[in-house]
Amino acid sequence: MLYSLRNIQVHRGERCILDIEKLDITAGKVYSLVGPNGAGKTTLLDVLGFLLKPDTGTMACNDISVQYSARAYHKLRQKVVLVDQYPILFTGPVWKNIDFALKVRKISREQRTIRIREVLDRVGMQKFANADAHKLSGGETKRIALARALAIEPEILLCDEPTANVDTENQERILEILSYCNKRQKTSLIFATHYLSQAQRLADFSIVLQNGSVSTGGNENIFAVRRGDNTSETGKWLLGEGLSLVVPNSINRAETRSCRVQIDPHSITISRSCNSTESMAAVWKGKVVSIVSENTKVRITVDCGIRVDIFLARDVYAKEQYMLEENVCLEISKEKCVILPNDSFTTT
Amino acid sequence: MDLLIDSIFSAFLLVVARDPELLNIVGVSLTVSCGATLIASCFGLPCAFFISFKSFAGKAFLITILNTLLALPTVVIGLLVYSFISRRGILGPLDLLYTQKAIIIGQVILIFPVITTLTIAAISRIDKRYRQTALTLGANEFQVVKVIFREARYGIIAAIIAAFGRVIAEVGISMMLGGNAKGFTRTMTTAMALEYDKGEFVLAVALGGVLMSMAFLINMLFHFFQGRGDQHAV
Repeated sequence: MLYSLRNIQVHRGERCILDIEKLDITAGKVYSLVGPNGAGKTTLLDVLGFLLKPDTGTMACNDISVQYSARAYHKLRQKVVLVDQYPILFTGPVWKNIDFALKVRKISREQRTIRIREVLDRVGMQKFANADAHKLSGGETKRIALARALAIEPEILLCDEPTANVDTENQERILEILSYCNKRQKTSLIFATHYLSQAQRLADFSIVLQNGSVSTGGNENIFAVRRGDNTSETGKWLLGEGLSLVVPNSINRAETRSCRVQIDPHSITISRSCNSTESMAAVWKGKVVSIVSENTKVRITVDCGIRVDIFLARDVYAKEQYMLEENVCLEISKEKCVILPNDSFTTT
Repeated sequence: MDLLIDSIFSAFLLVVARDPELLNIVGVSLTVSCGATLIASCFGLPCAFFISFKSFAGKAFLITILNTLLALPTVVIGLLVYSFISRRGILGPLDLLYTQKAIIIGQVILIFPVITTLTIAAISRIDKRYRQTALTLGANEFQVVKVIFREARYGIIAAIIAAFGRVIAEVGISMMLGGNAKGFTRTMTTAMALEYDKGEFVLAVALGGVLMSMAFLINMLFHFFQGRGDQHAV
């Protein structure tokens, strides 16, 4: 196992910003870290990059227990590189930035020259070798930061939002570089992203973080619901334009004004006609706006005023053959509406 | 007014003629000031990096003390060092009093807080990601310090120049610990004070001119490096 994390906690002041009960990461694979802002993605990457020592818990890297000492951390950092969301290049020419990581590893001058040329070629920045690193654009800076990381051929590459704030052309180049790095160099890749499509395209596995913890419920169908005028009597909470949802009784306290609810995309029943029953949390009508094949299942996105994702097994989809723009009905059972942890509650 | 114009003219001639006494005084001033700046830098820069990089109890208090020491009067330092190096002091047997070494000791105490606090300020302006990036690329603590030193170099040079400007223009320490001995411990400022006491303005004005030229040059350098530092701080 590349990483094994057990009961890892990181606190910032009184607040627990990362709380991982159990997380195992396999070597050679691509993992995506998905989750909303403040979910703990960057903190987890810092922990995995040995840049941040957790306050509690145990960690193992390559099945060897990690000692939280400066010397042990320095040794571990020789095989893992973190490329920041907003990477920073050192003052000086581009080649010197790449040279730095090679120099600290005491690689010979000849080898360093060859390696610099290779990685600049790989990221398509060979013409910029002598350019002032501080005069590059955001996308170019990211590519040089990636080149700097690739030059040392790390065992593990961690990327925080690798394609954030870069244009489409640079996004494609960056994704191609990451893919190359995993497939050719056999580097284990863990990257945080907001883009689910990227996560699905590149990653073998996705780790969903919610409020600092690993969520088993995926990252789909998280909605903010608010109390309506008749909520106390009907138990119905409001989502958007004309949509309501019956949530579990546990939050039906009068002082709770809003909260976040997650609906399991596997549990939503999709059909061509509505059979409304009292036992359902909601029955929504909508139009199919997207159908995407994902490994063993098919993701159907339905626009009901809000976009709802549904996962269907391939054989079920093959039987039903839903089409784009087709009107459908979604039935959501009460048991499959999960209220997200307490700090997402807003009270009066 | 005639006195001032005559003095300036005579002083100008003295500078042009490279008067040996004038050159000797300027030489002593530069020797002690450069020596003090060098020694204070050797102690101040590592201290500044240590304080900036390490977390320890009383760190904020220590920075407050260093900032307070920026206002330490030269006569207080003169008195303090005198009490140690005078014949009755614990360092009396070393015969340091009224030597250039004594002036250097006093001046080091004067500018150590200047170099330390200004370097801490220069380091604090450097983006935290430089350290993080150096660490993730496999650098050890010493290599990280080298990276930060390189990024903060303009601010650090500005700190050293500011310290040099402080010692070249001070008079209290040089007078109390150097004794103003001609040819040995007479610096530009102490010589000017003496010439003023004697009513001889020509040498005093000539030294004043040299000192002001140096101060101007130092300030030019300071602003040059300070400006470069601002451009590079992220």
